[in-house]
Amino acid sequence: MARSIIDPVSRIEGHLKVEMEVADGVVKDAWVSGTLFRGMELILKGRAPEDAFWVSQRICGVCPVSHGHASTMATEAAVGAKVPQVGRIVRNLVEGSQFLHSHILWFYNLAALDWVNPVNGLKADIADTYSLAQAAGTGVADFGNVAKRLAAFVERGQLSIFSGNWFDSPAYKLPPELDLIATAHYLEALEMQAVASTISGIIGGKMPHIMTSVPGGTTWVPTEQNLDDVLFRFVQLRDWIKGTMIPDTLAIAPYYLDALGHGGGVGNFLAWGVFNDESSDPAKRYLPAGIAKGLSLSEVDQSKIIEYVDHSFYEPTSGGLNPTEGKTQPVAPKYDVNDKYTWSKAPRYEDLPMEVGGLSRLIVAYLRGVPRVKELIDSTLAALGAPGKPEVLISTLGRTAGRNLEALYVAELMVDQVGELIERIKGGDSTSFEPYEIKDGLGVGMWEAPRGALLHATDIKDGKIDNYQCIVPSTWNISPRDGKGVRGPMEQALIGVPIEDVEKPLSALRTVHSFDPCVACAVHVVEPKTGKHCEVLHSPNGRGVM
Amino acid sequence: MREASTRLADSLLARGVTRRDFLKYCGSVAVAVGLAETAAPQIAAALESASALKPVVWLEAGSCSGCTESVAQADSPDIATIVLDILSINYSETLMAGAGYSAEAAKEETIKAGGYILIYEGAVMTGWGGDALVIAGKKGTDELKEAAENAEAIVAVGSCAVDGGFVSQRPNPAGATGVQAYLNSVGIDKTVINLPTCPVNPEWVVAIVVEYLLLGKAPEMVERKHSNGTVLSYPKAIFGQSVHDNCPRRGHFENGEFVSQFGSKEEALGYCLYKMGCKGPQTFTNCPIVRWNRRASWCVESGAPCIGCGSMDWVDNNSPFLSRMSDMWMGDALGNVQPGTAAAVVGGVAAAALVVHGLGMNAAGRVGDGPPMETAKAYDRKRGAKKGGDK
Repeated sequence: MARSIIDPVSRIEGHLKVEMEVADGVVKDAWVSGTLFRGMELILKGRAPEDAFWVSQRICGVCPVSHGHASTMATEAAVGAKVPQVGRIVRNLVEGSQFLHSHILWFYNLAALDWVNPVNGLKADIADTYSLAQAAGTGVADFGNVAKRLAAFVERGQLSIFSGNWFDSPAYKLPPELDLIATAHYLEALEMQAVASTISGIIGGKMPHIMTSVPGGTTWVPTEQNLDDVLFRFVQLRDWIKGTMIPDTLAIAPYYLDALGHGGGVGNFLAWGVFNDESSDPAKRYLPAGIAKGLSLSEVDQSKIIEYVDHSFYEPTSGGLNPTEGKTQPVAPKYDVNDKYTWSKAPRYEDLPMEVGGLSRLIVAYLRGVPRVKELIDSTLAALGAPGKPEVLISTLGRTAGRNLEALYVAELMVDQVGELIERIKGGDSTSFEPYEIKDGLGVGMWEAPRGALLHATDIKDGKIDNYQCIVPSTWNISPRDGKGVRGPMEQALIGVPIEDVEKPLSALRTVHSFDPCVACAVHVVEPKTGKHCEVLHSPNGRGVM
Repeated sequence: MREASTRLADSLLARGVTRRDFLKYCGSVAVAVGLAETAAPQIAAALESASALKPVVWLEAGSCSGCTESVAQADSPDIATIVLDILSINYSETLMAGAGYSAEAAKEETIKAGGYILIYEGAVMTGWGGDALVIAGKKGTDELKEAAENAEAIVAVGSCAVDGGFVSQRPNPAGATGVQAYLNSVGIDKTVINLPTCPVNPEWVVAIVVEYLLLGKAPEMVERKHSNGTVLSYPKAIFGQSVHDNCPRRGHFENGEFVSQFGSKEEALGYCLYKMGCKGPQTFTNCPIVRWNRRASWCVESGAPCIGCGSMDWVDNNSPFLSRMSDMWMGDALGNVQPGTAAAVVGGVAAAALVVHGLGMNAAGRVGDGPPMETAKAYDRKRGAKKGGDK
């Protein structure tokens, strides 16, 4: 059997390695490994509880707002702080702007290069390109000039970020005209993701790593001027997603329908929920909390989370442990796919591996009957020729397309949320912050980052952080095998994926990117004291295998 | 047409960017590096005359990708112009199309050819002899050594690359350090251009790179010594003055008008955040001038105190972030003085400057005894465990 290895997996945040065993042109087995260790949770120990809001955002520069919010919610839960309604909506807005930024950047600027071949776009007939854009109902750009720019770029021979590409692979299937349209929109998306981040910057002071969502509410004072600055950008994003991103998705998908047939993974979905409504009840969030085993819904119970370390670089435990009981004891990081091969732990819910992310949130919202989500999914299924079959979304293509539907849902929600905020302020409610006292206690914040369910837990003793734990989205998705040898969601999703070329495994890369792995944040804690003896050891991700 | 004859102007025109827009970009670059905006035409000419794009190797080590994200927000020029028309970014884990061995090959070729700018993001991870970070089977530290040896210029972007940033703070579990300290330790004698803050402000990266393309050398630097003994060099135009020096809320500091609770009337009035723990006085960046996210806002404008993410050992030195610094120091010229004195010393100068800038404040009231710091200290003592201010 041939081995196919992608290391580094680029166009993700952080450092990831994927090793696959290939036979008969498909993946037979897979091992996913996180290759960086930083130790965020240890750095927080002993600091002031509210400082975690700022420091923990540095876990991830793509989704810092989500980490900040999960952290601030954990602190609030520990000390019993309440968030006023204005503070709640302001947080929704800054979270939403980050979701839009992340979804747009991920689809066009990170994932799309697996599906779209800009070089092939050079063969496009410009007139046909306009006709195709019109037929697809997608945004029209100055396609002639984009082609000219692209040609100049390729002729120059300095490929910049397109160096070392796989654009000669036959796995790219779009006609040149569609490649050109998508390339034009790749450039537009670079601008739109920045528009979204500008909203985070207005509300958060700066982005990445916002300043304002402190425990107790927000420091940001909404005014007529800054709300206008926020609203027109949300409207611009909504219209662009609706008029370009969704039609592009529907135009590209038919060329890759085979990707509806693989990449499904474990088929269990978990969402903690995001965007609070007035009740702040996780089950009623605009994207609600829930567990879906297959397509059957149940309520979240935090005590059902356990983590295995059998295949991670930690001392063995007796079976899986709840994160609040777990002790993290690292062992020599020696990469061996038959034993330990990653810094990531293996979290399980009711002993099952769970997928998290946009697809999980959509499935939970769909099963809970959130009207707009149902509408979006049902119309997309019809367009893909699978009406009434939401299960086809559980695939590489479905996961990728689903996240774009979520982008539209969030953009529409944000425009509504600005409206709600304006109404509240008009009605005389401008309280954005409630003071609180720091006291000892354990608090858990459960929220969603763009790429999935996020949990922060803080344990405050003597007014300081005594213990801090996170279970971040990618820990679920890139988890290794558990104590029973059951693969993690991404490993499972890779099984059966066709490998066109062992050296250029594009379909596998599409499947990996469909999870939008965020690996700097998937790497768990190691005790420095016990880690010292690792100095003489080999690389954690197996130089020997390369 | 002159502009049609040059590579950059041509490709910009192809995207509908006029020469006027382009000059605006260059003007913005000029301001960020402390030149007059009238230098824009010279900057434009220098960029246009380059026959080939300057290759860049952008390495990510112990990073959160936040600095890459931040630079992707640049608009003067925007990220598409940077990656397609100004630089040839031959390796960037986050942005590049290639993956796996193809990506590594692109990097190795660039390094072998030399003459590139090395941009380093994230902390240097020395833990477990460099095994805390491994990319394509190679230690992150070895990767830095190779890339640094052949680089024409080395830019450390973000506080993690400058001095290890938050990753290096106690207990520094992964042995994180900065690029300059690491290069010194392995005997590579090169001066790193340090651009701190967390993440880096994209305007600075663009400005420094463009200035480098323009002048072929590093900008004028200011040197500061890190607690680990390393001497770090920072571009003076960007990191020469404190946040406090240029803060639009400075007038309120002089007047003794402070915010003592988030979301309060005082906050709505834009009063000074010093009592909320603002680290502006001991943080040396031009954030209040350059601002963030396309100049949309910056930390203090959003109602939050500066947490000093551009200072050395920024988490250890500045946390708890919401606690007022009782022994703040006020900048190079003034030495270690208490704010009350400082307000009296600098009041006149600041007042004059503010009047010149037409900020419409009552300058006369600002000179004198300065803010009532003793009252503030008594307030702090009573405050106890109360957080986020009181009513």
